[in-house]
Amino acid sequence: MKLLIISAIAVAGAAYCTQPRADCYTRISTNISQQVINSRPVDIQKLVGPDGRGQKCVLKYRLHINNDWQTVEGIGYGTTETEACVQALDQHRGNMLEEAPSSVHADSQMVCSDLPDIRVHPVRIGDIVWESETDLHTYVPERKYFWYKRTQCRMFVERDSRNQNLMLYQGVVCRLSTAPNSKWQVIDKY
Amino acid sequence: MRLVAILLAISLVGCASRPQVSYTQLASIQVSNANCPQIDQITQQVEYQLKLLGTLNKNPEDMSESDRAYNEKAKIIIWSLRIGCNNPDRYNK
Repeated sequence: MKLLIISAIAVAGAAYCTQPRADCYTRISTNISQQVINSRPVDIQKLVGPDGRGQKCVLKYRLHINNDWQTVEGIGYGTTETEACVQALDQHRGNMLEEAPSSVHADSQMVCSDLPDIRVHPVRIGDIVWESETDLHTYVPERKYFWYKRTQCRMFVERDSRNQNLMLYQGVVCRLSTAPNSKWQVIDKY
Repeated sequence: MRLVAILLAISLVGCASRPQVSYTQLASIQVSNANCPQIDQITQQVEYQLKLLGTLNKNPEDMSESDRAYNEKAKIIIWSLRIGCNNPDRYNK
């Protein structure tokens, strides 16, 4: 009997682990072209598939809007992949994606995606991250990219609230390669 | 040969001591584009102080409050030079 229960738990666990899982968001119909956008689209993730009219391109990318990085989704159609993806990257077509709350509003749509979820989180020296996993500098002139040892870099800030003290660290992240969707490495933090 | 080994040992003991530049001295250092010709000497000196303190490649979360403050001042000097000297038009409008 014991063996049977253990086997049942193991089978259920395996089924849960192999089940395809996707992160779900609420697609808010906010026209991002009317927001204060502080960055170009970064960390672009692409899903392309055939469509009745040719190709459908779904782009999930990150934009620094107002004071925070936001995940934006753009959908484009075209006869070729390039045409569809250029259309999908048009910021006028972008919709902000927000994490699904417990209750879904009537004027919003639930969308699910297998693409990796990118969000700002604490980093350590040496970590390899997406660019939008580190926040832009609070001092606007320090947000500009700069060159160091022939590599494109930028400064970042990180808020750390521990022991009821708010610490504000800053640091430097540098692009790992010249590929358009390259990841970045944390090369210093202080 | 033995003398060389002793001198090396003394210098290594010296490495484990506190920085030779105090926090106040470090905080008073101001760098500008005029210091770009000496960027290597200045960054090496400041990095050496961090090496003495033991914070050179450490994350700030792992440091005491005083070490973190010292490390931050030193890194600001280093990165001001690295960014300013390699990107002279960065702050021009």
